[in-house]
Amino acid sequence: MVEMKDDFEPELREQLRAREAPAGFADRVMARVAKRQQPQHRGWLGFGMPVWQWAVATLLVAAMVAGGLEREREQREQGERAREQVLLALHITGSTLREVQQKVGASDAVHEMNQKGAGAVIPEKDEP
Amino acid sequence: MDHSQKTFRDLVERHQGRVFSIALRIVGESGAAEEVAQDVFLELYRALPGLESEEHVTAWLRRVACHRATDALRRRAVRGYAAAEEYQDGMELRPAVRDFLPLMNRLEQLLLTLPPAQRAVMVLRYQEDLEPEDIATEMKMPLATVRSYLQRGVKMLRAKAQRTLKEYSRG
Repeated sequence: MVEMKDDFEPELREQLRAREAPAGFADRVMARVAKRQQPQHRGWLGFGMPVWQWAVATLLVAAMVAGGLEREREQREQGERAREQVLLALHITGSTLREVQQKVGASDAVHEMNQKGAGAVIPEKDEP
Repeated sequence: MDHSQKTFRDLVERHQGRVFSIALRIVGESGAAEEVAQDVFLELYRALPGLESEEHVTAWLRRVACHRATDALRRRAVRGYAAAEEYQDGMELRPAVRDFLPLMNRLEQLLLTLPPAQRAVMVLRYQEDLEPEDIATEMKMPLATVRSYLQRGVKMLRAKAQRTLKEYSRG
């Protein structure tokens, strides 16, 4: 027990003297040192990374590249579909225009023949 | 210094008590203290070629043991160990925490109620018998801080020890 007197500091020094380390401490330290000194398995590439880590890294890179290619393919397909739709729309518009043009052309020819008085009078469609 | 296993083992055997005690009095738990002490010696093994003499090794061990033990204590506090929280509040240890430290004497237990940096300074002064100037140099602390830690640390421990003694005599 701590005595309450003026020489508290010597008492403190006495009670805080270095203790002994637990039994077998040095052996445990030396075992860890020996374990550290064992050559590490460095893998076939020898860059200090085990083979399995290289395999995981390769798989990750391959997955990223495949993902990028797939996205690019989808974008290309979408572009193709959009282009086809535009072409179809243009084709439909073109056909309609041609049809209208033919009808207008035919109507003009009938009107011209009627005015010249040649042959039988073909009634113009627009007349009542 | 010589890096052979034999030389290193001799060093471990000569300094193991010192390093383990510093760690124990800062961390406050035997298992954690041994872990810290082992890590310090592994670090010494790597640093040995750069150390010139036994005095240099001793100073290096004191400094690194204090720092690693303080780091370990901080990590334990972050992980939420109840005892570590208790040490840092500056109050008296609760009986439950005292039971957690059966191997420590009363003054060692009271030391754990001081903040970690102050604990380290007290250990270097009273376990290692270093002068305040040497502690300031080794711990890279202002001398005034070291003196203040020591003065307040002794005062607090004295007051707490006195209170314990009174409680003890009252039965």
